[in-house]
Amino acid sequence: MNTALAVDPATLDREKVGFFRYALVGEKVLLTNDAGEHLFLSPGDFRRFIAGQIGPEDALYEPLRRRYFFRHDFDAHALADKIRRKKAFLSHGPHLHAIVTSLRCNMSCKYCHASRTGMEAVDTDMPLDVARKAVDFAFRVPTPVLGFEFQGGEPTVNWSAIEFIVDYALEKNRYEKKELIFSVVTNLTFMTDEKVKFLLDKGVMICTSLDGPADLHDQNRGMTGKGSSYAAVDEWMAKINAEYVRRGRDPDLFHVDALMTTTRASLSRGKDIVDEYVRRGLRSVHLRPLNPFGFAVNTWKLIGYSMPEFLEFYRRTLDYIIEQNRRGTFIQERMASVFLTKMLTPDEPNYSDCRSPCGSGSAQLAYSYDGNIYTDDEGRMAAHMGNDFFRIGHVDTSSVDEVLRHPTVKALAVASIQDALPACHSCAFKPSCGIQPLHNYMFDGDIFGQRPLSRKCQEFYGVQQYLYELLSRDADGSLERIFRRWTIQRSRPGTIPYVPPGEANA
Amino acid sequence: MSEPTFQASERRVRLSVDESVYDLDVIMGAAYLFIDRCYVYLDREADRRVSVVLRTREATTEAALEQLAGHFANELLNQALRKNIGEANAKIREFVMARALFSAEGPSTIDKLLAELDAEEMATDDLDIPVPWEKPPGA
Repeated sequence: MNTALAVDPATLDREKVGFFRYALVGEKVLLTNDAGEHLFLSPGDFRRFIAGQIGPEDALYEPLRRRYFFRHDFDAHALADKIRRKKAFLSHGPHLHAIVTSLRCNMSCKYCHASRTGMEAVDTDMPLDVARKAVDFAFRVPTPVLGFEFQGGEPTVNWSAIEFIVDYALEKNRYEKKELIFSVVTNLTFMTDEKVKFLLDKGVMICTSLDGPADLHDQNRGMTGKGSSYAAVDEWMAKINAEYVRRGRDPDLFHVDALMTTTRASLSRGKDIVDEYVRRGLRSVHLRPLNPFGFAVNTWKLIGYSMPEFLEFYRRTLDYIIEQNRRGTFIQERMASVFLTKMLTPDEPNYSDCRSPCGSGSAQLAYSYDGNIYTDDEGRMAAHMGNDFFRIGHVDTSSVDEVLRHPTVKALAVASIQDALPACHSCAFKPSCGIQPLHNYMFDGDIFGQRPLSRKCQEFYGVQQYLYELLSRDADGSLERIFRRWTIQRSRPGTIPYVPPGEANA
Repeated sequence: MSEPTFQASERRVRLSVDESVYDLDVIMGAAYLFIDRCYVYLDREADRRVSVVLRTREATTEAALEQLAGHFANELLNQALRKNIGEANAKIREFVMARALFSAEGPSTIDKLLAELDAEEMATDDLDIPVPWEKPPGA
C-alpha cells in the first residue's frame, strides 16, 4: 500500500466522476474499475479529473470516457456486459476434478504439499469401485467441460485406477457429450513406454515438477532411496516430447508441462531456473511460492522465506524472462499471465486460486483415495494434516446438490467476495485479484483473514504492483505487446476422438 | 480542512482526529490498512474526537514516527475520497451490477430488480422526473 498520494476529498465533482478505484503506482496514479479497465494519470491530471476539470476538448477525456470512468457520460449497459463477461464463470459448476489415485510416493520432497505416505501403504490406493463412483459423480455436475486431474502422492503408482478412470469417462462421454480434459501430475519416475502410449493415445496431458537445474531440483525433490529424480524428469520429458513430434503434434501445444516450487535455495537461482525451462523448450514457468501445507509446515525454518524475499526474487526473475522475450525467446511467467489476462483483456482466466468468489467447491472438487470429496486439493491436504473442515461429501452418500450447496462451500464463497471485504473492496488491484480463503485458514486459522497481514495478499499485491509499474513505464508499448502475447492461451485441439477398445483398427 | 494533531514518543505516535471531518468508518478504514506496519489502538477521547495510537512493532526514530503519522493522515484523505466516490455512484453501481449478474437468469428477474431500483430512485426524486411534462404540476 502506497499512501504517498493525498487528494482533498472535498474537491470531488460528484456529478462527473464515475466509480473507480485508484492507487499510486510508481510516479503515476492507476485507475481501475470492475470491468477490468485501467488507465494511468499523472498526479496532476488525477486531481483535475477528480475536480471535474477534464472536459470533452481535453486529450484525456476520450480515454477516460471509453473506460467508463465518467459518471455523466458512460454506457451503463455496455459496462454491465463487460462485467458479465468477467464473471461468466459463475454460471457453471465445478469443471476441475482432482482425483487422488494414491497417497503413496517414492520421493520425499522438502515442501511436499500432498502429505504423501510411504510406498508400502497400499491401503491409500483408490479402489476401482471408488474411482467409478467419482467419475459418475463428476459427470452429474452441471458443467459442459470436465477436467480430470490425477494427483497424489504419486498418482501413477496406482496405474490401474488412472487407466480405468480415463476409459470409463471416455465411454460415459459417448452419450454425455461433454468436453473432456485429462491431465496427470507425475514425478515421471514410474513412467514406461506403455504408459506413455496410453496417455498420448487417450489425450491425457502430462505435467511434472521441475524446480530448476539438476542440483537445485534434486536438493528440493529427493528420492526416498538412492538416485536422482531429475534424471527421470530429464529422460521422460525428452522421450515424451519426441513422441508428440513423431505423432505430428505441434510441440508448442503438446509437450510435458512443468511446475516449479520456490524454496530458499531457489531465491538466488532465478536465472538458472528460467534457462532450464527455455533449454527444454517450455513456454511457461510458474514462479510459485511455498504454501503452508503438508510437510512445508514442518520444514519452513529450513526452506521458507519472507514474502518480501520472494517478491524480490520474483521481480528479478520476471525481468530476466522479459529480457528473454525481447531477444526473441517466447516464455511467459504463469502467474503474471493470469493477472495480465485480467488487466489487459475482457476475459477472466478462471484461475481457481485467484477468483472472486474463489473456486473452492464451485470451480473444483477433489476426490481423495477413500471417496471423500473436498472443496479442492488444498482442502484435501488440510484433511491429511488432521483438519476435516473442508470435507463436503463422499461419493457413496452425497448428491451433487448436497456437495455444491454445502455450508463450507457457501462460507468459502462469502469469505472471498472482494466487494464485502475490508481493504479489498477499495483496492485498485481488486478487479485483477482474487482470494483463496484456504490460504487464510492455514496461516491464520480464519477463512477471512486480515488482508494487510495475509501472505497471499502480500504476494498478489506485490506481483500486480510490479506488473502495473512496468506497464506505467512502457512508453513505446513494446512491453505491453509482450505481455499481451502472454495472455493468449492457445487451446489444444480437444481430446483425441474416442475409439472404443477393439475398434482402433476397424 | 483541519490537520490531525499528533504526538510522538518512544515507538508510538498518537493522532487526534476530528470526526466532523473524517467519519468513523473512514478512520477505521485507514487504521485497518496500517495493521501490517504497526499495532493500532482507537479510542474515543472526547465527543466527536477519536484518538488513534500507532505503535510500531520495532524500535524506531522520531522522524520515522512523524512520517508514519503523515502517511496515516494521507490515508484518511484517500479513504474519505473513496467513500465519497462510492456514495456518489452507489445507485449506478447497483444498477450495473444487477444487470451484469442477474440478467442472464431471464427477464422476469432483471425486470423485478430494476423496478425495485427504480422505485428506490424515485422515492428520493425531488424533481418528479417520472411525471409527464404535459401534465401540469399538481394535476
